[in-house]
Amino acid sequence: MPAILEVQQLVKKYGDKTAVNGISFDIQAGEIFSLLGPNGAGKTTTISVLSTLYVPTSGDAVIGGHSVVKEPMAVRNLIGVVPQDLALYEDLTARENLSFWGQMYNLSGKALNARVDQVLEQIGLKDRANQRVKTFSGGMKRRVNIGVGLLHQPRLLFMDEPTVGIDPQSRRAILDSVKDLNRQGMTVLYTTHYMEEAQELSDRVGIIDHGDLIALGTQGELTRQVGEYEALQLHISEMDDSEALAQALRGVEGVVRADVIDHNITLITPEAEKILAPVVSRANERGIRIHTVTIQEPNLEAVFLHLTGRALRD
Amino acid sequence: MKKILAIFQKETILRFTSPIEWLFFLILPLFFTFVLAGGTAGNMDTRTRLAVVDQANSTLSAQLIAGLEASGSIRPDVKTLAEAEDEFSKRNVSAVLVIPPDFTLEKLREGALALDLRQLPNNLNSLAAYQTVQTILGRLSSSVEIAQQSVQAAEDLRPFENDAERAAYFDAALDAAQTELSVAPQRVATAQALVEDPVEYDPRANSSAGQLITWVFIPLFGISVTFAYERATGTLRRLLTTPTRKATYLLGTLLAAVFWALVQMLLLVLFGIFVMKLNWGHSPAALAVILTASALAASAIGVAMGAFVKTEGQANGLSIMLGMVMALLGGCWYPLELFPAVVQQAVKVLPTRWAMQGMLDIVLRGQDLSAVLPEAAVLLGFAVVFYAIGIWRFRYE
Amino acid sequence: MKKILLLGWKDLTLAFRDKAALILMLLAPFALTLGLGLVTGGLSGGSSSSGLSDIPVVLVNQDAGQLGGELVNVFQSAELAELVAPQVSGDAAAARQLVDDDQTAAAVIIPAGFTAGIIPDAGTGQSGAAVQIELYMNPSRPTSSGIVQAIVDQFVNQVEIGRVGAQVTVSGLIVSGRIQPQQAAALGEQLGASQAQAADSSRITLTGVEADSPAVEFNVLAYMAPGMALMFLMFTVSNGGRTLLVEKAHGTLPRLLVAPLSPAQVLLGKMFGVFLTGTAQMLILIVASTLLFQLKWGNPMAVLALVLACVVGAVGWGMLITALVKTPGQAASIGSAVMLIFGILGGSFFDISILPAWFRAASRITPNAWGLDGFGRLAAGGGLMDILPDITGLLAMGVVLFGVSLFLFMRRGVIQR
Repeated sequence: MPAILEVQQLVKKYGDKTAVNGISFDIQAGEIFSLLGPNGAGKTTTISVLSTLYVPTSGDAVIGGHSVVKEPMAVRNLIGVVPQDLALYEDLTARENLSFWGQMYNLSGKALNARVDQVLEQIGLKDRANQRVKTFSGGMKRRVNIGVGLLHQPRLLFMDEPTVGIDPQSRRAILDSVKDLNRQGMTVLYTTHYMEEAQELSDRVGIIDHGDLIALGTQGELTRQVGEYEALQLHISEMDDSEALAQALRGVEGVVRADVIDHNITLITPEAEKILAPVVSRANERGIRIHTVTIQEPNLEAVFLHLTGRALRD
Repeated sequence: MKKILAIFQKETILRFTSPIEWLFFLILPLFFTFVLAGGTAGNMDTRTRLAVVDQANSTLSAQLIAGLEASGSIRPDVKTLAEAEDEFSKRNVSAVLVIPPDFTLEKLREGALALDLRQLPNNLNSLAAYQTVQTILGRLSSSVEIAQQSVQAAEDLRPFENDAERAAYFDAALDAAQTELSVAPQRVATAQALVEDPVEYDPRANSSAGQLITWVFIPLFGISVTFAYERATGTLRRLLTTPTRKATYLLGTLLAAVFWALVQMLLLVLFGIFVMKLNWGHSPAALAVILTASALAASAIGVAMGAFVKTEGQANGLSIMLGMVMALLGGCWYPLELFPAVVQQAVKVLPTRWAMQGMLDIVLRGQDLSAVLPEAAVLLGFAVVFYAIGIWRFRYE
Repeated sequence: MKKILLLGWKDLTLAFRDKAALILMLLAPFALTLGLGLVTGGLSGGSSSSGLSDIPVVLVNQDAGQLGGELVNVFQSAELAELVAPQVSGDAAAARQLVDDDQTAAAVIIPAGFTAGIIPDAGTGQSGAAVQIELYMNPSRPTSSGIVQAIVDQFVNQVEIGRVGAQVTVSGLIVSGRIQPQQAAALGEQLGASQAQAADSSRITLTGVEADSPAVEFNVLAYMAPGMALMFLMFTVSNGGRTLLVEKAHGTLPRLLVAPLSPAQVLLGKMFGVFLTGTAQMLILIVASTLLFQLKWGNPMAVLALVLACVVGAVGWGMLITALVKTPGQAASIGSAVMLIFGILGGSFFDISILPAWFRAASRITPNAWGLDGFGRLAAGGGLMDILPDITGLLAMGVVLFGVSLFLFMRRGVIQR
């Protein structure tokens, strides 16, 4: 399988500020590739450059053999974009919106109508096709927003955090539809700051932070980077000083690192069961009660933590 | 081309979705034209109302009131003193003329008379009333004056034998003077426009053209609102990830705005022709050129504004404000002649001034295509400059 | 009560942070006042109250007799030097062209034989056929050309009186046997001149008495500035009402309603905020125009009272608009429309006293009309007592509209949790 997308040393600067700092990766046809990183890591900027909105400061990306810098029009024909914010005309109906965007993708006539019907079916809004988008719920709007990106059956679909700010049910539906699309042969570049989404969807994941691509590979490859480590998560009472406890736990033999997020302490260790007893006794010494303890197999969260020392959702 | 039409269609649906749009598109312009034109002829009297208190009830006072009635600019409204004073204090009338009890021919023969005209301060209407009353009084007294002079001339040559003979001589002269003055030939002919198809001067043409410009320019400046809206919703950004060029988007948006502006103008012109009986239609070519040039100039300013405004609200406010200020200073609300000379020169930087000039050439002066070409050229110049600025500074987020 | 004040203060702060709103709240009334001030010449300090001076006019004298020259002299006289700027031309067609090109306000074309048509020939005693002066007027300068017409009319009137006077006197003298018909022509010419001069001084003197304004000097801008301020006050209040709908959409309104506040308190707080914003806007405009244009608004306490009353009336309208529309966007559009309609109906653009009674009656539904009336009285030197009817009218308007809006709000559940 040839790469449908090749990103080559892509740099994007705004004045002094570097948003994307020379990243390179490629996406194979037929895979779901996730770009995982916290807010402000450079995900949206990357997508914007790839979808020809911004001209990169240096570097290039080639999509289906066309350079985003030199042949933006050819690239636009191959890609579908689902922007992070709803980019729809709320005063138009769902059908009118799809029809308008379809025409912007050079569809017309019968082919256009057929595609609009198919997409309406696909996003499950056939019965509300002639109602104005502004009367829709947040989840329904999201679905229309995605539908617009599918109209011209793009070879590569960019989805920029499509699940931000919606209810769990709609989120579930969107994740399922991404998998469906992929099964039908669509290549997807998916950005998110939710570890679980990347984990569920992707064949391969790129982890991005402060504009740098800090890790790249299949999930297995990435978690192996953390080694044989496991994560032990402690949830303690809001009344207690979690920072102080973490400090104390760093002294426990076998704890590689200890990180604090609110009232959760995550300990990275080769063998979680072994340190469980000393950890509990350290806590008891300080009169701190541990509400829950969970042991996690190595996951992307742990990878990110391991690489940056921070949690994804800062 | 298909895309341009798709954008055109989208813009049209978006624009007329809201019933409020009709308010701005047609209802307000018609209302304003109607009111500023003083309504259609017949329904309304545009003469200045002057409250007249007749305490004399004499032949002379009757002649004065008849004279006022006959004037084109004053509508005398006879009231009692109390009524008149009440209206005046409520500022319902701009001037009150009180005719004193001694306002009679007899008194006039004996000597001078005096009248008071109470005016609201600094009021153009009361100034007009003053001038009209003055003129009529001059005419009234002139026959007495002539008779007096005539008696004087006769007396210089050969004295009268008694007062009765003098009085008879005076009455005969007064009578002759009044007759002669009333049959005096018309010695001034006024004309307005020198065209084969003579145009009746109608002040309502000013308001028809002026309101047309005001209400078409405001929505065209409103193109900036469209841009701000599309930037805020991210649709403009999304559009530029589709295989659609900026130029296509701009053209489609402009086409919709200019097309509907032309439709709106046409409706207002038809209103002018059929309801107000104005001479808009005598040169369709000239009309088409000036309307199109105006719409292009205004839309260009809308595009340029669109590149600089930040929010929809800002764009909305600016469109209304700039539209109204430009219309006002361009002479759309009040004739430019009322402006100080310096200002008259300064407002040449406004497209509204040229649009107004061009439209008045047609509807007031009855001129044809060649006469509006200079104005159209200036308007197209504005269009080029502002399109250039707008496209140069075009942003999609 | 404290909470209401707090809510109000929050809205005032927000209103003055909104740059878009500031354009319409403060900048637009200033720009339009300035524009209208230019129109009325209030800024140029010109001597004539209409602001007209140096009216361009083209004179074409084809008359061989004395009267044509006299008329040209009238236009060139020192008394009219400021009012008109005459230009003498020999070509009638060129003169008309100047008018058609909007280069000049009017062309006065005195035809050959004009004098001969009035003054009898000294030899024959016969005058020629009456010919007419052609006054070619520029339709886009109605006022200027009207003034030119008035000058020509007055001159012709004078000449006519001279002619009639001479004719009446001479025929009287002949009939009474004082002179012989042969002497008529010579005497007539001599009499005509003196009669024409006499016609200049009317026996009836008309004195223009301006409404007594001893204390305050009236300025045209003093009429324009409140008109514009009141018009854009309508924007402020509808914009304030709009923020209520925005808060509803953004969820801050429901949040307020679950706070320990009654719906009435929330609504009152909102209204108070709009009221504060409107008052601040009016006061800023008044103070600024006082400083910039040297406007005299009159008795400060009475002005303040009137401002407060105007804002109450206007806030009533703002609330009603809010109660009638569904979305913030609608509120903005309807608000602009109402602002303009009230502006024209209430007399913010032109003096509505010349319009018929039904129009003036209709204008009373606007706060603009009441407010303008009051500001007019105050500027003319009136005091608090003179504007009591205006204040009462505005307050009544505010109360009635508040009641109606409250009813509508309740029914539509806008301020329910």
